Amino acid sequence: MSKVCFVTTGATAPFRKLIEAALSPASLDAFLQCGVTHIFIQYGTAKDVYQSSAEAARQYLNENGTEHKLNIDGMDFDSSGLIEQFKLVKQTQGLAISHAGSGSILEGLRFQVPLIVVPNTALLDNHQEELAVAMDRAGYVIHGNVDHLAPAIEASEGFRTKMAQFPPATAGKERKVKSFANIMDETVGFTDFNNE
Amino acid sequence: MASPPPSALYTPTFLLALLTTLLLCLTLRALAILPSRSPKPRLRTPGTPTRVVIVLGSGGHTQEMLYLLRDLDPAKYTHRTWVVSSGDAFSAGRAVAFESEMESRAGSGHGKNVGPGTFDVVTVPRARSIHQSLLTTLGSSLRCLCACFAPLLGFTTASSMAQAPTKDLPDLIVTNGPATACILVFAALLLRFFNVRGAQSRGKCTTVYAESFARVKTLSLSGKLLVRVVDRFLVQWEGLEGVGGGRAEFVGVLV
Repeated sequence: MSKVCFVTTGATAPFRKLIEAALSPASLDAFLQCGVTHIFIQYGTAKDVYQSSAEAARQYLNENGTEHKLNIDGMDFDSSGLIEQFKLVKQTQGLAISHAGSGSILEGLRFQVPLIVVPNTALLDNHQEELAVAMDRAGYVIHGNVDHLAPAIEASEGFRTKMAQFPPATAGKERKVKSFANIMDETVGFTDFNNE
Repeated sequence: MASPPPSALYTPTFLLALLTTLLLCLTLRALAILPSRSPKPRLRTPGTPTRVVIVLGSGGHTQEMLYLLRDLDPAKYTHRTWVVSSGDAFSAGRAVAFESEMESRAGSGHGKNVGPGTFDVVTVPRARSIHQSLLTTLGSSLRCLCACFAPLLGFTTASSMAQAPTKDLPDLIVTNGPATACILVFAALLLRFFNVRGAQSRGKCTTVYAESFARVKTLSLSGKLLVRVVDRFLVQWEGLEGVGGGRAEFVGVLV
């Protein structure tokens, strides 16, 4: 039975350290432990980093006699978005690892698969770290550290059963919050401000 | 004794008094149009023609805005005007795709308020390009401001595409913070300030701003500029609740 891990590093400014982290020996061990059979990396323009890291990773797997258990593959960037990759993850009960750009996070969350979000700490004055911490606390994602990625990978299996629904329920019995449509309605007067 | 000539009136004291009076009037008017703490609109019956202006920005803003609008009901919001910046073909394309999706969901038929004629996409000059200097930004912002009045003052429908646009103000303006949005909100405030076509007295041009889901602890630049002037300022993380002098409403994740 196959199980896919999809790693996305961003299209415009690829997160090189994330490619290296995902293919490090500690991460590879964690993937094997979780039963991952395919690692698929969207490396953007960082093909050089991907190729050398993948080479080293295959060598490591060879030395441990596990090369037949774990496939490594990659692509530069799919202009049609990441939907096909996330679908594959969903079908195989796999997991996804993403840089902390809000676009990728929002796309990945809708598939309700364990999503590890890794902020790029090299970027100055950005809010990736804050977002990753807040999303982790709310139970939507796992906040991963690029220097210690393995613990987050190991945590992904347990996370599958307890992750929060995204987007949060805005209708029906489980409704907790208003949707943007509700807010528009009460603002223009379609619904009573206080009843809604 | 002959009365002094009128020019004797123009003393520094007189000018100062005039200036003070003018400033006072402007301030009072600004206070009158700026949002009160509890906006309570008149109840609106479904079926009332309701026009919404949606400001889209480059990639990330547009994607988030379309997530925000995923439950937009064309039966209620009978006409949508999408405002995009020049050169942003991505956003314009996404707006049209969103409309066609809404159309296929609703099914064709009269009174569904979907399809051609129930929406328009308006392009305005970019307020600011990346790395643009401050001085030229002033010029491009002014050009953007002038262009922002058109989508506020009227809209096109399919049957009147070749004719003059239908004249009416939007009931609601929603945005999530591209630079163009700040300019458009400012244009809407000017219309309310001078009560153009009853913008103020008829309760038109109500503004809603949703801060990006990516902002957890601090507001974006657009957010800081708009937090005190929009009617509702929504934040998606608890840490931002009440910023801007208590104006930010924490509403949870909306995207």
